[in-house]
Amino acid sequence: MTLRECYDALGGSYDEVLGRLRSERLVQKFVLKFLADGSYDLLCRSMQEGNHDEAFRAAHTIKGMCQNLSFTTLGHSSGELTEALRNDGTIASAAALFAQVQADYERTSSAIRAFQAGLG
Amino acid sequence: MQKEKILIVDDSEMNRSILADMLMDDYDIIEAEDGVEAVAILRKQVSELSLVLLDIVMPRMDGFGVLEAMNQNRWIESVPVVIISAENSPSQVERAYELGGTDFIMRPFDALIVRRRVVNTLLLYAKQKRLISMVEEQVYEKERHSDLMIDILSHIMEFRNGESGLHILHVRTLTDFLLTRLTERTDRYHLTMADIALISTASALHDIGKMAIDEKILNKPGRLTNEEFAIMKTHSTIGAGMLSDLPVHQEEPLVKIAYQICRWHHERWDGRGYPDGLAGDDIPISAQVVALADVYDALTSQRVYKPPFTHEKAVEMIVGGECGAFNPLLLECLKENAGELLTALEADSSEDIRRRKLRGISDEALRGEGGASQRTLRLLDKERMRNSFYASMSEAIQFEYTVSPAMITVSAWGAKKLGVDEIIMDPLRDERLQGVLGDSVWEQLSRRLRNTTPSSPEVRLDCPLHYDGATRWHRVIMRALWSDDIHPQFEGALGTVMDIHEAHQKMQELEQKASKDLLTGLLNRASAKEQIELRMQDNPDSHFALAEVDIDDFKKINDVYGHMFGDQVLQQLARQMKGSVRRSDICCRAGGEEFFLFLEYNTDIEKTIDRIYKRLCFTCEDRPVTVSMGVALGETVGLSYEALYHAADLALYTAKRSGKRQYRFYDKTMEETLSTMSDAGTGGDAPPQ
Repeated sequence: MTLRECYDALGGSYDEVLGRLRSERLVQKFVLKFLADGSYDLLCRSMQEGNHDEAFRAAHTIKGMCQNLSFTTLGHSSGELTEALRNDGTIASAAALFAQVQADYERTSSAIRAFQAGLG
Repeated sequence: MQKEKILIVDDSEMNRSILADMLMDDYDIIEAEDGVEAVAILRKQVSELSLVLLDIVMPRMDGFGVLEAMNQNRWIESVPVVIISAENSPSQVERAYELGGTDFIMRPFDALIVRRRVVNTLLLYAKQKRLISMVEEQVYEKERHSDLMIDILSHIMEFRNGESGLHILHVRTLTDFLLTRLTERTDRYHLTMADIALISTASALHDIGKMAIDEKILNKPGRLTNEEFAIMKTHSTIGAGMLSDLPVHQEEPLVKIAYQICRWHHERWDGRGYPDGLAGDDIPISAQVVALADVYDALTSQRVYKPPFTHEKAVEMIVGGECGAFNPLLLECLKENAGELLTALEADSSEDIRRRKLRGISDEALRGEGGASQRTLRLLDKERMRNSFYASMSEAIQFEYTVSPAMITVSAWGAKKLGVDEIIMDPLRDERLQGVLGDSVWEQLSRRLRNTTPSSPEVRLDCPLHYDGATRWHRVIMRALWSDDIHPQFEGALGTVMDIHEAHQKMQELEQKASKDLLTGLLNRASAKEQIELRMQDNPDSHFALAEVDIDDFKKINDVYGHMFGDQVLQQLARQMKGSVRRSDICCRAGGEEFFLFLEYNTDIEKTIDRIYKRLCFTCEDRPVTVSMGVALGETVGLSYEALYHAADLALYTAKRSGKRQYRFYDKTMEETLSTMSDAGTGGDAPPQ
């Protein structure tokens, strides 16, 4: 699996990220780093525990990383979750958006793992 | 050369890492994962840092908290902060700028933009620092020269007065010392650091009047007689007189202060001094301080008539009232801080101390009334002020557009006029901006901008803008910005917008007048042709018909009923034509009694033509008017004005030859009719009347 194919699989824009970071090496480095970031675990935990502020920050961080990596799909859903938590706020009302984030994160992380496996 | 240090503050390890990777070739990077850590690092090594890249949303302490701490500790004055964030609400941006943020980098990061912003910010600050040190250097140089002159003068005076070599220097140091302590105790005298420096400098002149006193009296070892003392006392008024007789510099603060000191440095707080017997704060503070400094130094120095006293003894004698009467506040200043006072006198001529004081003065000068180094920033802002001034004079709106981050900055005046924000993040989604532009203008502008090239970057567009509840025409002129790379990237644009509404309307009126037939108000042939061709070009898949209309026996109508009636017939026909077709169809008076109609149709053109023809035959003042009409269809002859016109003309000719009062559709057989000039006009519909 090439990096471009990985991007296609997770619903991101490889051309856009390469245009900004200007080096395939860097893109690959940060894509692999994405899995190691704890924000998603923090988000899941905070949603479960009803910790609103922590959930907002975690969603916000995920959105920021997705923007930087041009992970369009997950960036979109985490962005929507961020805005929902920022604006009115209840954890309950954001549940549907969170479900979308979970689905998109699964898609993203499995694509990256597949790409990683291909590297050997 | 040592690399400059940049502090990156972001709670996401990945974001820090991306930024660090972009910058680590040229800079030393320090990372902090939240605001608390950032403030701790700043506290420890703020003087080593050249720049802070700061995220807004973070746990524990957010970016605004860091900015607030930087303001409280005044770090913000020496370290520029570039905000990094995905926040794009204008209020957040505004707040960050208010708290002293220098610039903004939006996520997602673009390596090129991040590097450029960092370089630009560092350059700007380097320039500001250079300016500050230039001003400081100039102030220092100026002070050094005047100090030099005063040192020479002091030396001459000392030589003549036989005073200890350091008297004038000591009086100056004491004056400075006492005034500085005084301002710590009270605001009563409104003294700035510059005032203190001025009084200290002027203190050197306190005894210039002694130049005019006989040397024998000045240097008499024993006690002065009453007459001698009376002469000695005149030195204060003589000195003041020397200054007030100066032919120039009368308005100089230094001269004014020196006058006060010379004249009144022998006045007493209780009013029993000379020459004027002033009391209390009627004596200028400058003279009060120098009087005390003069006495203190006289007591602690060796004179021909006495040995030096110790500090303690001198203070005791002064406070005890043995050597005059002084402002109690000043006495307190003298009594306390004895240690510091002695150190100050010892270190008197040390360059370091003088330099440190100067630093204070130039800082003060730079801060002016408005606070932190505004004057310096004002120098840098001058260019921008000039631009916006000219822009407001010309009533042009200026703006700058960047692709990444997607942002438009509008000149203050322009933003107010259009009712949009000065900084518009994500302009495509800004409702107010889109309301002003409307969809098609935005679309046209961005398409044209992207079609520019680095060698021809200019775009002009006349377009309507909507604001203040009205629509006005404007001319937008833009210059696209392309990067300098081998493959240039479109980066944004600079632009200006001018209101051309009045001029535009006038042009349109003129165009309309020129394009219309004056009698009927229909288009003339030339402009109708132009519009017809444009219409066909824009809609190559539509169905069009051209109908040529000619009033039957119009010459006879004119001859019998007169030209006035003829004109009425023409005008009524024009009205009937307009009433029989849609607004978007084209009606034209081609000349004389010849008209034509150009219309778009979807179904059953024959029925439509029949309906139209019936409306074109009418009565005018009870007199029946009929027309002949030839119709050509685009699908038969092709979408060309020439072909349609030729065919419609032929069909009209056929209708006329077939007895007028009828219409005909063009068909190929008519070509033969024309060539043989036969009468066989067949194939048309029956005439209606």
